[in-house]
Amino acid sequence: MDNASPVDGAGAPRGRAGGFSDWLPGPAARRRAVSDAFLDTFEGWGYGLLATPVVEPLDTVAAGIGAGRQTSLFRFMDADGSLLALVGERTVSVARVVATQLRDGPFPLRLCYSGPVLRNQALLGGRRRETLQAGCELIGSDALGADAECVALAAHALENAGLTGVQIDVGHADFLPGLLEGAGLDDATRERVLQALQDRDLVAVEAALEGTEVGDAERSLLLRFPALRGGREILDVAATGLRAERPLRALDELRRLWELLAAHGLNGGAIHLDLGAVRDWDYYTGPTFELFTRDLGFPLGSGGRYDQLLARFGFPLPATGFVISVDRCCDALMRRADPGFAAQAPLRIGYAEGQAHGAIVLARRLRDRGLSVAADLEPSAEPGAGVHVHIDTNAFLHWRHGATWCKGGMDDAVEALFRAAGAPALLERRGA
Amino acid sequence: MSGLRLALPNGTLLQGACDLLREAGVASLQPGMFDETLLVHESGMQFVKTRPTDVPVYVEMGACDGGVVGKDILWEAARDCYELVDLRFGGCRLVLAAPEESLLARGQWPPSLRVATKYPQAARQFFDRIGVAAELIKLHGSIELAPATGLADAVLDITASGRTLRANRLVEVVEAGRSTARLIANQASIKTRATEIDELATALRRAVEARGTAARGAA
Repeated sequence: MDNASPVDGAGAPRGRAGGFSDWLPGPAARRRAVSDAFLDTFEGWGYGLLATPVVEPLDTVAAGIGAGRQTSLFRFMDADGSLLALVGERTVSVARVVATQLRDGPFPLRLCYSGPVLRNQALLGGRRRETLQAGCELIGSDALGADAECVALAAHALENAGLTGVQIDVGHADFLPGLLEGAGLDDATRERVLQALQDRDLVAVEAALEGTEVGDAERSLLLRFPALRGGREILDVAATGLRAERPLRALDELRRLWELLAAHGLNGGAIHLDLGAVRDWDYYTGPTFELFTRDLGFPLGSGGRYDQLLARFGFPLPATGFVISVDRCCDALMRRADPGFAAQAPLRIGYAEGQAHGAIVLARRLRDRGLSVAADLEPSAEPGAGVHVHIDTNAFLHWRHGATWCKGGMDDAVEALFRAAGAPALLERRGA
Repeated sequence: MSGLRLALPNGTLLQGACDLLREAGVASLQPGMFDETLLVHESGMQFVKTRPTDVPVYVEMGACDGGVVGKDILWEAARDCYELVDLRFGGCRLVLAAPEESLLARGQWPPSLRVATKYPQAARQFFDRIGVAAELIKLHGSIELAPATGLADAVLDITASGRTLRANRLVEVVEAGRSTARLIANQASIKTRATEIDELATALRRAVEARGTAARGAA
């Protein structure tokens, strides 16, 4: 192993598929902690954990969000020739389960999940192909309270995972389409404008509106996109001059949502109303939201009302929900370089010849107190580097206390090490 | 606007981007400032100079909040960015061109067509739109050579003046698109740095409009 160069072992099968990551000890522990924090929060709000497969029939997946993005699925063939896909998101799986095995409710049904999703992104683009996603679905209620609950729950889950200062952009899937419908545009132009908005191409929006008969109120709103954002006051500004009922109804829903969110403890500091929010209009039907942080160029998560999805499974029910990318949250936390999360090294036990049994007993007792412990597998005459506690040939224990070593029996050692490790916090986390 | 990081394309659009940012009062940039370093701190902002095709990559991944790039690059880049302002410089056209003596040059479309192009995405969209079944051949340069050597029946390429086409005895059959420089922005920056991005877009839009007014006044 001396002077091992990367060339050594050339030809050995050591490759890794592009776009997939290994999570090493430390980052992997953080990732699990973030996911656990999400699930703990979800369950604390009464959401039952649901586990669904990573493989679904292609036509099931196709019923879900972004059917147009099907090219980005990993697809393969089952033994009988039917087409399968690795799931690219999990809301569609939850919808399938509700429409089949959970038809009896009780509604509204609160479900949560955490699991990998896979997308066949182009190689070398810098995007992950496998990500861990956690999310909630609230099914069977068309009340705005359900939408407010999802926004508030997502916000609290992020906070509990240590992601502070998150910005929540709340919009409405019906606002822009409704605005266009009421603007007196012909179908072709409306389609062009919506497509341009979906493509996030504001230059094309402007070009499509040029020379059309669109009303002044609507034109100025459309051209101010994406500046259609702010606090509650923007709702009144946007309503000025609008006559069509559909966009006004969307604004009214946002007004009521704003007040519910205030009751949830979310105010203008965290919540931004974003009327220009451009989302998948063939999927979302009501309020939508996205979660951002200044540390990252991608949203941490997103959600919204999708009242049409369950009907595609023959079980029409209103629904709302959200998904958070655990991996992007980890990216954001690592960029903040918070020292709060260093993977805790285990307490290491060394022992002299003949004291192996004592080491095992000590390890058991410390683990019972909630400490993370690794006992050496070979005896050592002296405590080597990295050893926290050592049992000598006379069965006396020596443990580190700051820079000095203490000596005593096993009871003393267990107490001292337990106190030194600040272990009560750990015990609490494990629910002991 | 302060604190934003913008990606600028090297090559033909760099001078125009620097000029417009200066006229808009955003930053007093000169192309020469990038000679020694690729990352310039100026007027409280950061500017990076990259290959044009890399500008949307920096912006999508959030390494830059925004950038200036030609629309022709965006045609080919499957990148998720907001396209905010048409900056109206660096104009060029995407045209289908065929040899002078060909039937296509006289407006007769053959049932099948082999087309050489550097812009396969834009070409695919164009031919789908007009309903022509074209076989595309992706080349990386010297597109004009393809018809002369029998590699393709026609080319779909960018032209600014038409000089290269004429020199290679190619004539324009139809225009497939127009490209100018655009201001693009990252999808998160547009939310989390909304004020700064809005200020930048507004300043650039005003500068573009002022140029239009000046040009009309001179005419």
